[in-house]
Amino acid sequence: MMFWATVVASGMATYLMRSLPLAVTLRGAAPAWVRRYLDALPIAIIAALAGAGIAVPDGQPTGGAEVGAALVALGVAAWRRNLLAAVIAGVIAVAALRAVGL
Amino acid sequence: MSPGRAAVVEGWPVAITAVVVGIAFGLTARQAGLGVIETSATSFIVFAGASQFVMVDLFRTGAPAPLIVLAVLLLNARHLLMAAAIRPFVGPVSLVRRLGLAYVLTDEAFALGVGWFRRGHRDLTYFSVFGALMWFGWNAGTLLGAIFGADVKDPQRYGIDFTITAVFVAIVVIGVRHRADAVVAVVAVLVAGALRLAGASAVAVVVAGALAPVVAFALRASRE
Repeated sequence: MMFWATVVASGMATYLMRSLPLAVTLRGAAPAWVRRYLDALPIAIIAALAGAGIAVPDGQPTGGAEVGAALVALGVAAWRRNLLAAVIAGVIAVAALRAVGL
Repeated sequence: MSPGRAAVVEGWPVAITAVVVGIAFGLTARQAGLGVIETSATSFIVFAGASQFVMVDLFRTGAPAPLIVLAVLLLNARHLLMAAAIRPFVGPVSLVRRLGLAYVLTDEAFALGVGWFRRGHRDLTYFSVFGALMWFGWNAGTLLGAIFGADVKDPQRYGIDFTITAVFVAIVVIGVRHRADAVVAVVAVLVAGALRLAGASAVAVVVAGALAPVVAFALRASRE
């Protein structure tokens, strides 16, 4: 019983966070600084997700493999402008770097 | 290429990752003492990867229910920012459709969706199709893991766990349009990484994501 109450409440908590800004409709134009902030927000959040995943992959601080692989993914993304190519390069790089003990 | 097709072509490596991590979740939940139905229901109802691992860990250690819900709320506070960030792209679609989009608003769907919008597209098909793909992948993986998970070993050896981080890196690099974007991105990476290393995992992404634009604008203002 406790389990189900916790799962349902956790589901509601998650959904509330995801739906609130989408459910409300603001009338009128937002001030310039709000628009500028919202414009910069997506890149900031995705970069934060990347930074968190690089620094502490899977609960343990990185031994350097993830930093190296992130730089490889960055380089390929800048060079090819291709998501899939950058991801595959990053995954191969991390596997290789971990295999040599980083 | 149609938006739905583009979502599948670009999204499949991420969806495969969802299946693999879903299998890991199913296995972990079973080992923590949950049944197959309870494990699958968690993925179905909560549908949030990191939070579900934290939940199972807290269940295992006997944490009180309010603490578990609070941890989930904090971990997912970042979605509040994400939803606010995609709100301008969502435009005037019906409330029902927006509430449906909210259910599949994961880190991955947000990242790929923004990548799509930033290329000038305004349709929501890409986001919806990829969101559905992730939902099926995660729930199928969870069920597989809950039933057969004991046979899957060591996904880290193949670097599979790094897929999503590589996706985030690539989307940032491709999505940066001018120097201000790049400054925001670098600040966010450093702040989030530092907070994670300092042990503030639950709030790392939300704090770094919310602060980085402010810091970057302040830096620019101080130069001007």
